[in-house]
Amino acid sequence: MAYPNSRNPFAFDDDEEDFKPKSRGFDDDPDDSGMSEAERRQKYLQQQVMHTAQSAVDSSYRSLSLIYDSEKMGVETAEELVRQGEVLKRTDKMLDKMDQDMKTSQKHINSIKSVWGGLVGYFKGKPETKPPPAPEQPKAYQANERLQNALSNSREHEDKYQASHPNLRKLDTGGFGATASVDDSSSRQNGYSQNKHLKEAHQTLDKNLDEMCDGLRRLKNIGLGLQSEIEDQDDSIDSLMNKVDKMDVKIHNTNQQIKNLK
Amino acid sequence: MDNSGKEKEAMQLMAEADKKVKASGSFLGGMFGGNHKVEDACEMYARAANMFKMAKNWSEAIHCLNQAVDIYTDMGRFTIAAKHHITIAEIYESELVDIEKAIAHYEQAADYYKGEESNSSANKCLLKVGHYSAQLEQYQKAIEIYEQVAMSTMDNPLLKYNAKEYFFKASLCHFIVDELNAKLAIEKYEEMFPAFTDSRELKLLKKLLEAHEEQNSEAFTEAIKDFDSVSRLDQWLTTMLLRIKKTIQGDAGDLK
Repeated sequence: MAYPNSRNPFAFDDDEEDFKPKSRGFDDDPDDSGMSEAERRQKYLQQQVMHTAQSAVDSSYRSLSLIYDSEKMGVETAEELVRQGEVLKRTDKMLDKMDQDMKTSQKHINSIKSVWGGLVGYFKGKPETKPPPAPEQPKAYQANERLQNALSNSREHEDKYQASHPNLRKLDTGGFGATASVDDSSSRQNGYSQNKHLKEAHQTLDKNLDEMCDGLRRLKNIGLGLQSEIEDQDDSIDSLMNKVDKMDVKIHNTNQQIKNLK
Repeated sequence: MDNSGKEKEAMQLMAEADKKVKASGSFLGGMFGGNHKVEDACEMYARAANMFKMAKNWSEAIHCLNQAVDIYTDMGRFTIAAKHHITIAEIYESELVDIEKAIAHYEQAADYYKGEESNSSANKCLLKVGHYSAQLEQYQKAIEIYEQVAMSTMDNPLLKYNAKEYFFKASLCHFIVDELNAKLAIEKYEEMFPAFTDSRELKLLKKLLEAHEEQNSEAFTEAIKDFDSVSRLDQWLTTMLLRIKKTIQGDAGDLK
């Protein structure tokens, strides 16, 4: 019985029973009108395999496009976040300026309230202008370092990951040749099947998986970068809140003082 | 539909604001509270403009916004002036469809933001300027803008993921102008920004360059279709690619 010696996962055991009696009938004229039952079976299975491989390739294309879409969204979010960070910084600067102005007005009020207070203020001189906060972004560099480390780490582990992960190991297909004869050892090239179309499908799949791997890595880095930026902005929002509260109290006091002057 | 009501309110606000501005011009006003009045006037102009927008009376809205912008610029408050410029530009972009004016306003806004060290906001406006300039076939300007933005973002760890997009757009503009320019530009960008080399955009560009050299419009379309199947090409990109394709087909054949 020339059943193809395929270790393919699509061999349905119960069907083989049915085939036995029929194939005996065909044994008498094997190559006459085309294929024997066994060969037909094999062709059917081949088609199944191709079909599955094709749908795997299609699905990998879809995943790839989804990954790229996520990346795009992540990037746009990052831009918005950076813009927000800049606004926060500017708010901080403005608050500092307001603080300065409040000090000046306090001095003026003092001078109005009493001659002595005014003289003291005059001798104290101009209020020290705080040096403007450095415009460069140390936070950005901090995030950078962490990202760089993550990048280099992931590169090291990538090879090991590929070897160990079962899905990424090259698929172990038996020799699907056009002929029924099976020569497992010689027909295997890098674990790809001999069938040209199947080979192409697997190669495309592998290529897409590599791209997906890259895309996911980028997504991870974007995520990490966003996280650290958000943490920094959290801190600046907190400090801004404090400053604004203090400012509020000061303004209130100043208003009271001015009212009392009357 | 309270449009007419809103319009009347808006007209009122505008008239009041006008009065305040005029009043502050007088000597006494200037002495005692000129600034105060002008600030109020600004705010009123902004509110009036908002109401005009709701009433869909675009030209009046723009008029109010322009007034407000002038006052804010005089006061030196450029950030809020920039914000109003953007609003005006958006109206020109979508409702009154006057792309040239929109570009002008976006440019102003970008300048003000740059002055206030808000580089991200400035970049956002510059991108719009580049977008529309390329649409209006002012490629040189678009190229400069995209290159500038790309170079400023490529060092920032959060923003560098988009730098390749900007380099891609700049390369496309180069391509429309001249193929050789595009080749040189791409090499320059690859050198400056190695991550660009791995991107699918660069691979697409190389395929397009090849197809263009061989004057093979089928290969061109094929490459574009491949790219589109993974990540959609937006309206702008499609327009640019069509223009490049026209240069391939040259004088032979219909333009698809």
